[in-house]
Amino acid sequence: MDHPNTIEAEKLVREFKKGPRAVDGIDLHVDAGEIYGFLGPNGAGKSTTVLMLTTLLPPTAGAARVGGYDVVREGPQVRANIGAALQEAALDPLLTGREHLRLQAALQALPREERGPRAAELLDRVGLTEAADRKVRGYSGGMKRRLDLAMALVHRPRILFLDEPTTGLDVQSRTALWDEVGRLAREDGVTVFLTTQYLEEADVLADRVGIIDHGRIVAEGTPDALKAEIGRPTVEVIPLGEDGRGPVAAVLERFGTLVPSSRGIAVRLEGGEAGLAEVVRALDAAGVHVAQLELHSPSLDDVFLAKTGRSLEGHGAE
Amino acid sequence: MRNLSVARAVAWRTLHNVFTNPGLVIPQLAFPLFFFTAFAGGLSHIHDVRGFAYPEGYTAFQFVFVLLQSAAFGGVFTGFGIARDFETGFARRLLLAAPHRTGIVSGYALAALCRWLVTAAFLTCVAFAVGMKVGGHGVDLPALYLLAALVNAAAILWACGVAMRLRSMQAGPIMQMPVFLVLFFAPVYVPLGLLTGWIHAVALVNPLTRVLEAGRGFVAGSPTEVAAAYGAAAGLAVLFSLWAVRGLRKAEAAG
Repeated sequence: MDHPNTIEAEKLVREFKKGPRAVDGIDLHVDAGEIYGFLGPNGAGKSTTVLMLTTLLPPTAGAARVGGYDVVREGPQVRANIGAALQEAALDPLLTGREHLRLQAALQALPREERGPRAAELLDRVGLTEAADRKVRGYSGGMKRRLDLAMALVHRPRILFLDEPTTGLDVQSRTALWDEVGRLAREDGVTVFLTTQYLEEADVLADRVGIIDHGRIVAEGTPDALKAEIGRPTVEVIPLGEDGRGPVAAVLERFGTLVPSSRGIAVRLEGGEAGLAEVVRALDAAGVHVAQLELHSPSLDDVFLAKTGRSLEGHGAE
Repeated sequence: MRNLSVARAVAWRTLHNVFTNPGLVIPQLAFPLFFFTAFAGGLSHIHDVRGFAYPEGYTAFQFVFVLLQSAAFGGVFTGFGIARDFETGFARRLLLAAPHRTGIVSGYALAALCRWLVTAAFLTCVAFAVGMKVGGHGVDLPALYLLAALVNAAAILWACGVAMRLRSMQAGPIMQMPVFLVLFFAPVYVPLGLLTGWIHAVALVNPLTRVLEAGRGFVAGSPTEVAAAYGAAAGLAVLFSLWAVRGLRKAEAAG
């Protein structure tokens, strides 16, 4: 029987006692080798979804298959095929980084002779070789996250779950982790299910994004498609002098509908971002002097705002 | 095979933490030694009470109790570690990494047994060093250790079930108190025949009384109530293994 590296959920529900529906009937399909970004604010249901898909929490209703295995009936097979780095990197402060990896390898029943070399390989890959034999109580947050990722990869999983993997990391660590996740999907064909509250992270990494709010998926698609869905980019022009406003507006209205702007004159480009070059050429041809010109592309936050009526920026971790 | 691998990994990690951490290993050895010294040394004149007929002396009489006590509390202390693993989130890592989760329970039980074997060896050396006399044949003493190992298994499985239900260090007293009561409602200081009143009635039905009497019989070289003792210890171990596995299922359901 063929077991693809896919993640599928159908009407997945999780209710907690005396609490609301944390996940309220979501449907998911993540293709093999795809990086799927699961985006949402605090308490939206991202982590609960991950817990169900990784067999750590049974669903109240609905069904899910991970790697072709049912998360309720075939938990051992699911766990054998997935790796997961959860929101809090729960590590044992009394073990070293290398010991953690060897422990994980033993839990996954890797042959004894493979455990040492595999640990060394992963420590090197996540840049922890020098700290490998230090107890993790002395590790920084970034080092713990990287070790957590390495532990998730010990048994060469086909599917990887990363629950807010870069929360609290500095820019350098975040970029290194993005590179590694991207490499895993591109080179190793690993399917990645990534929850995040960072719009940039979803934008940079994810092939497709699902936006969850109040336990329901409110939007899904590629980042570009989602952004295009809610509107076209806007060009905002600030003329050099006050008397330039009229000529600038006359040029810009040829490219789309003028929209309000507090600083200058703005137009929503009918032709999309490709129209920017023509705008610049037209302003130049009209002899208009421009102090500043900015292209505003719709962001995933704009998408979130459009779909939920709230902004995602500024929300803390779930 | 995978279950065994999980059990060995969990046991290795527990033992590694205990034996590389003086704060955990010293109490494990010091407490039984303290009880042994206090009971066998400080109360040695109890042996002179009329009707107290134990041929190997009060040191051997108390050694059996302290050995069984160390087996029971060795299990409970390992249970504290399980509760801590849930509180810190490490248990979730084990639940996620282990394809077969019953191996986690087996691993904690294996760790508790290995932990206790070290304590038992230490206590035995001390007991012989202070002149404990042992009667009978060579098989009697190993039979006592086997009985104690069953007590250890029952205790860790009890504690494991509690830890997995409550998933908090606050479960500690709940793990400890029943074990403490069962131990001290047995004939600790004098043989069962010398107890009177309600404590005699309670001790009579206490399953640990059978274990204690049989253990003292082994050390004296005159085994008594062996089948009842093994039956009680093994019965508790089986009962609490079901309790622990049900606890594991509850922990899984709680996420």
